[in-house]
Amino acid sequence: MICSGTIVLHNILAGFSISSIGIAGVTLLAVGMVFVIILTIANAKLKVQQDPTVEAIMNILPGANCGGCGLAGCGAYAEAVVKDHGLMGKCGPGGEATVGEIAAILGIEAEASAPVRAVVHCSAKTDDQINTVIYHGVKSCAEAQMVEGVIDCPYGCLGFGDCADACEFAAIDIDQGLAIIKYDNCVGCGACVQTCPRRLIELLPMREDPLMIIACSSLDKAKNVRGYCKVGCVGCRLCVKLAPNMFRMEQSLAVIDYEKYSDKEERDKAQQKCPRSLMIYVGKKSES
Amino acid sequence: MNSETSLIMVFISLAIVNNLVLIKFLGICPYLGVSKRVDMAFGMGCAVTFVITISGTVTWLINNLILQKIGMGYLKYIAFIMVIASMVQLVEMYVRKFFPSLYESFGIFLPLITTNCAILGTCLFIDLWDFTFLQAVVASFGGGLGFTLVICMMGGIREHLEWADVPKALKGAGITLITAGIMTLAFMGFSGMI
Repeated sequence: MICSGTIVLHNILAGFSISSIGIAGVTLLAVGMVFVIILTIANAKLKVQQDPTVEAIMNILPGANCGGCGLAGCGAYAEAVVKDHGLMGKCGPGGEATVGEIAAILGIEAEASAPVRAVVHCSAKTDDQINTVIYHGVKSCAEAQMVEGVIDCPYGCLGFGDCADACEFAAIDIDQGLAIIKYDNCVGCGACVQTCPRRLIELLPMREDPLMIIACSSLDKAKNVRGYCKVGCVGCRLCVKLAPNMFRMEQSLAVIDYEKYSDKEERDKAQQKCPRSLMIYVGKKSES
Repeated sequence: MNSETSLIMVFISLAIVNNLVLIKFLGICPYLGVSKRVDMAFGMGCAVTFVITISGTVTWLINNLILQKIGMGYLKYIAFIMVIASMVQLVEMYVRKFFPSLYESFGIFLPLITTNCAILGTCLFIDLWDFTFLQAVVASFGGGLGFTLVICMMGGIREHLEWADVPKALKGAGITLITAGIMTLAFMGFSGMI
């Protein structure tokens, strides 16, 4: 057995000769070298002059291509931000770190810009809603929105989670019929804002963390609101009286003027006095 | 048959009768991938034609003047691939420099010409059919033009399909493949011409 094996091996080896392997190698090497020379010359002649700043910015961007900046992708954003420095703070996923790096590359001072994050202007979980009908239709907000009175509140969160499906970053949970943003994951791309048929989600600059928001969107009068919701804004104006700078009324809904969002004492007093506990703190550092 | 007639025959053979895409089923990937619009399809056709022509010519030279002379015919696959890859690099640099928008719209399909089997196929057919040098040049150019013709036709049809009332189940790739099949049937009519 050993003997026949050796003979087979010997026959195989005899098929090769060292010189033919050498010739094959040298031939391919020579052909390859010719193309190396051609390509090197072509590379020098046909070099594309790309703006080095664009390339540098492209490298530090997160590369998520989420489109949150309003441009087609990270490449388009890098090109745009070089031309228009005002776009610098638009990169949601990158956040402040990226803004600083872009500013360093562009050689300008970055002004303190707050990253935008999604907030949900509703706080009514299933138990807080007062509904006269029970909806058994398609489990999708977009479909349910077509049905009159799917939940009695014409403004509140439907809770079928179209926003959670739209979120690329798994930053939205549906908890008992209410969309909850997980700020550890949210990058402020705004996909949920586009998806929500009731326009309940808004992108707000997080000036402070946690940030106070009014968790209701109902513009209805108190009588109606009490009819369909246990936590909705009844338009009592207590907050406006306590902190007239920060709060204002929009029909029967209190809204926060974030331009004048500063006095913590005033807004905490308003929060305590609010009969519906509507002012909630959201953000990474909020307790809930 | 004198040499001019034979050249014309070779040209028609590669461009229409033995069309790379529809008869030999080579290069289907860009044929389906980059044929959404006529202008893109034409750009891709031009790039492939250029690469095929140069590759066909250069590979004939390498094969007949070097490899066959030293009895290393078995090296042709490696050598051909090397030629094609280099040519694609050249085209990529050229397109990037002079047609940036075309470069953007090609995306991955431009470097993928390297692995376009239509090109290696043409080079190997030229070797298989024992063409002379002139025939090889004409054949590879004809093959490229045939590819361009077919991919542009496909682009035109697909532009119209955008507006057609296609059954939901067949939308997209389904109707495109059916179209490709019907085009192949039409091109079968050319068989036996040469």
